[in-house]
Amino acid sequence: MLNTLRRSFVPAAWLGWQIESNWTDPFLFLVFSVVKPVASVLILVFMYQAVSRAGADAPIYAYIYLGNAFYIYVGAVMAGASYSILDDRERYRSLKYIYIAPVSIPIYLFGRAVARFITGTIAVVITLGAGALFFRVPFNPLTVDWPLFLGALALGIVCLTFMGVLIGTWTMTLRTEPWFVGDAVAAALYLFSGAIFPLTVLPSFLQPIGFALPLTYWLELLRRAVLGPGAAAFPTLAAFSNGQLFGILGGITVVFGLVAFLGYRYFDQVARDNGMIDAQSNF
Amino acid sequence: MTTLVNTRPPDRGWRLFLRTIVARAYPRVVGQQREKAWIFFETFLPFLATVGYIYVYRAMQAPEDYIGFVVMGGAMTAFWLNVMWSMASQLYWEKESGNLALYVMAPNSLMAILLGMALGGMFATTLRAVIITVLGSLLFGIQFQVSSYLQLLVVFVLTMTALYGLGMLLASLFLLWGREAWQISVALQEPIYFLSGFYFPIRSFGFAIAMSASIVPLTLGMDAMRQLVFATGPALGFLPVQVEVAVLLVLAVGFVAAARFWLSYMERRAIEEGTLTDRRR
Amino acid sequence: MSDPQAIRVENLGRVYKIRAVKKGEARERVALTDVNLDVPRGELFGLLGPNGAGKTTLIKILTTLLAPTTGRALVAGYDVARQAPEVRPRINMVSGGESSGYGLLTVRENLWMFGQFYGLDTQTTHARIDALLEIVGLADRAHTKTSDLSTGLRQKMNIVRGFLTDPEVVFLDEPTLGLDVGASRDIRRFVRQWMAERAGRTVLLTTHYMAEADELCDRVAIINAGRVLACDTPANLKRRLQREALFKLETSPLVNGALTTFQTLPGVRKVLHAPHDGFSALDLSLEADSALSGVIGALTAHNASIISLQKREPTLEDVFVDVVGMSMTEAEKHGD
Ligand SMILES: Nc1ncnc2c1ncn2[C@@H]1O[C@H](COP(=O)(O)OP(=O)(O)OP(=O)(O)O)[C@@H](O)[C@H]1O
Ligand SMILES: [Mg+2]
Repeated sequence: MLNTLRRSFVPAAWLGWQIESNWTDPFLFLVFSVVKPVASVLILVFMYQAVSRAGADAPIYAYIYLGNAFYIYVGAVMAGASYSILDDRERYRSLKYIYIAPVSIPIYLFGRAVARFITGTIAVVITLGAGALFFRVPFNPLTVDWPLFLGALALGIVCLTFMGVLIGTWTMTLRTEPWFVGDAVAAALYLFSGAIFPLTVLPSFLQPIGFALPLTYWLELLRRAVLGPGAAAFPTLAAFSNGQLFGILGGITVVFGLVAFLGYRYFDQVARDNGMIDAQSNF
Repeated sequence: MTTLVNTRPPDRGWRLFLRTIVARAYPRVVGQQREKAWIFFETFLPFLATVGYIYVYRAMQAPEDYIGFVVMGGAMTAFWLNVMWSMASQLYWEKESGNLALYVMAPNSLMAILLGMALGGMFATTLRAVIITVLGSLLFGIQFQVSSYLQLLVVFVLTMTALYGLGMLLASLFLLWGREAWQISVALQEPIYFLSGFYFPIRSFGFAIAMSASIVPLTLGMDAMRQLVFATGPALGFLPVQVEVAVLLVLAVGFVAAARFWLSYMERRAIEEGTLTDRRR
Repeated sequence: MSDPQAIRVENLGRVYKIRAVKKGEARERVALTDVNLDVPRGELFGLLGPNGAGKTTLIKILTTLLAPTTGRALVAGYDVARQAPEVRPRINMVSGGESSGYGLLTVRENLWMFGQFYGLDTQTTHARIDALLEIVGLADRAHTKTSDLSTGLRQKMNIVRGFLTDPEVVFLDEPTLGLDVGASRDIRRFVRQWMAERAGRTVLLTTHYMAEADELCDRVAIINAGRVLACDTPANLKRRLQREALFKLETSPLVNGALTTFQTLPGVRKVLHAPHDGFSALDLSLEADSALSGVIGALTAHNASIISLQKREPTLEDVFVDVVGMSMTEAEKHGD
């Protein structure tokens, strides 16, 4: 176990960081890492400003802003996983070498996700900071419930990485311009995860999808940690205590871990059946 | 090998230009036909993403026309992504696979190659735009009130011309750079969604920022289209449609001319610096 | 059309700027220095040189993909730097070890696509594809996806792509790289046949296989470290060495000290020594046969016994050693 970790995780984390960052100097790298998530937050801020009469004090504003800020992690990890596979397969043509090395692909993907997690964190911090300073988001580091925050963050990231592994190994089986598979999935889950609007806004037949996603509980916990009782302005999950939410998130994480493992087994088989490990899908 | 003798001289000029477009579009079309997974990723998932923005407006209790704005914006993302991924960034892969050198060495025009790539992906792009528009309008009961189909067509054509010109400018970066240009493309995607007002009227920006954002052709193009298509559009518009059409005309001519100039300038630079055949694997 | 020279290269030089990895490292690499070449129409011209000699650089310049730093080059009578639009319709290029086109297209589709880029009409294109595929023995694979071809078959398709447009000048950069003996022979035969049937067409070919250059080319230029060191027909190049006597000698294992003694013997020009398992192979280049007795005497003095002795004709390999001062293998170690 420890050996697998040393062989797969550590080099992958290092490699991921190199690939992410080595094309330019640190300053430009920072700018490029945050411009995308920050722009997506700004879209929502301006959408809100365009229509809202209530202004920044309405609870929905903080709800949207924070949900979107933490959603940056979702995009980063999911897109990161599918990009990792494609980087290795198409750009560096090295997936086949990783494959035949004594490396576990899921753990390798975990490692590659680390780099995305780091750049994602930078973007989240900048987004939250900008929110507090310029966009009147009620984010105050002194009143944040840090144990709750960090605990929820850690558990959520583990779960996200499972989802990333699932997406990444799925990407292995795809040939058609899969650059934005991760992006597309992350953007589509936006709809169901209660990131930018309470789930109760969705038609009732779509709501179960949201309740089955770990993201829903994860984002709720993070919001509660940041906003305190104010987070309960929306009834969706108000009936659950923090402990219950943690329990649900933990349970779903275990399920997703299992699904990721089975998914990996399956997609791995499909990818090898179809000779996709060293495929070139450029057209 | 007697068949090698020319039956008629090879085409040059605009005929070669057209041939090149068709030939480069071909692998795209074939590729999308042979691998169907893209339908899910390029139509269904983006549709869900668009619906996400619709519900944000619902949660904010926005006026109904704003939901129409989102549907239109969601549909237009298809064209922006086509420009970015099928055309500009694609040159990166052409370079990596060695095709770029062959394209430059041949007597055809690089512009035709780029147009071919874009056009080859146009079926997927149009499908995406149509599905988002039709499904979005039906499911969310969007009311269209088109004031002038002719103006709408003119605005759309001008916007697309300018947009593809912009895409070619972006593509020219790939002649000199690789990873760097790729990162620039990736980093541009969301900021353009934001600055061009894909999901909200750019009037919210205030005059100065809206004016600066108008350098991206989609900004005024979408503003004009919103004004022409929705009842409350004109009230929320940035500039009068006639003015926007005039600016779009300038942008279209400007971007296409600039693209022509820049592509040949960058090709010359790339030939001097030896980056056409660069591979950094 | 009027220029009788298919290729003219005058005082050509190329310097690459390179990104310094460490501070203080050289930021420039000289790839070509003062190269002069004339290749008349109808000639099959070979560029022979070790890795890093500058062969590919020269081809890139001649195919308008790279600008010269100094000097100039004309192809089919047009300046490659200033008149690229005139040059491009008249040339084509094939590089070994490279895949072109798209893996998901079939052989025929890929070839058709490249034909279109040169303005060929579809009918002519298909007729030529048929004829060329037949000659290289790929006709039965016309409908195979290129991603499913083996390296050798893919290279044959590449060759067809290069000749499909009926170019006036064809550049072949190591066209037999990575191919087995049979496939290499097929390709050489194809090139020769094409040259024979299409009068006035020119081929410039790079290789580091001596035998390939010797067998195929009308004239050969030997290039090393960016300089052309000799340029003539293979026969003439070898004739220059005919004044020398060349011997292949196998002896019982020799200590290195013995070698230095040989080199100082009268009449000995050059000795190359290759130690093997259980014996030593010597390549002797002597001023005359008579110098051999001295070598044999020295061998006896070193207690070495002769296993075999053979006089041999000069090859391009010897020419290379003569003009470069070392063997191709040694030059490649020097190279990068
Ligand atoms: N893009 C480049 N940037 C910097 N240096 C380069 C570049 N391309 C080639 N070189 C250098 O120029 C020299 C000549 O390279 P070139 O590729 O022309 O050699 P070659 O004769 O084709 O070798 P090979 O037999 O290995 O193909 C080498 O030292 C090489 O490292
Ligand atoms: Mg070479």
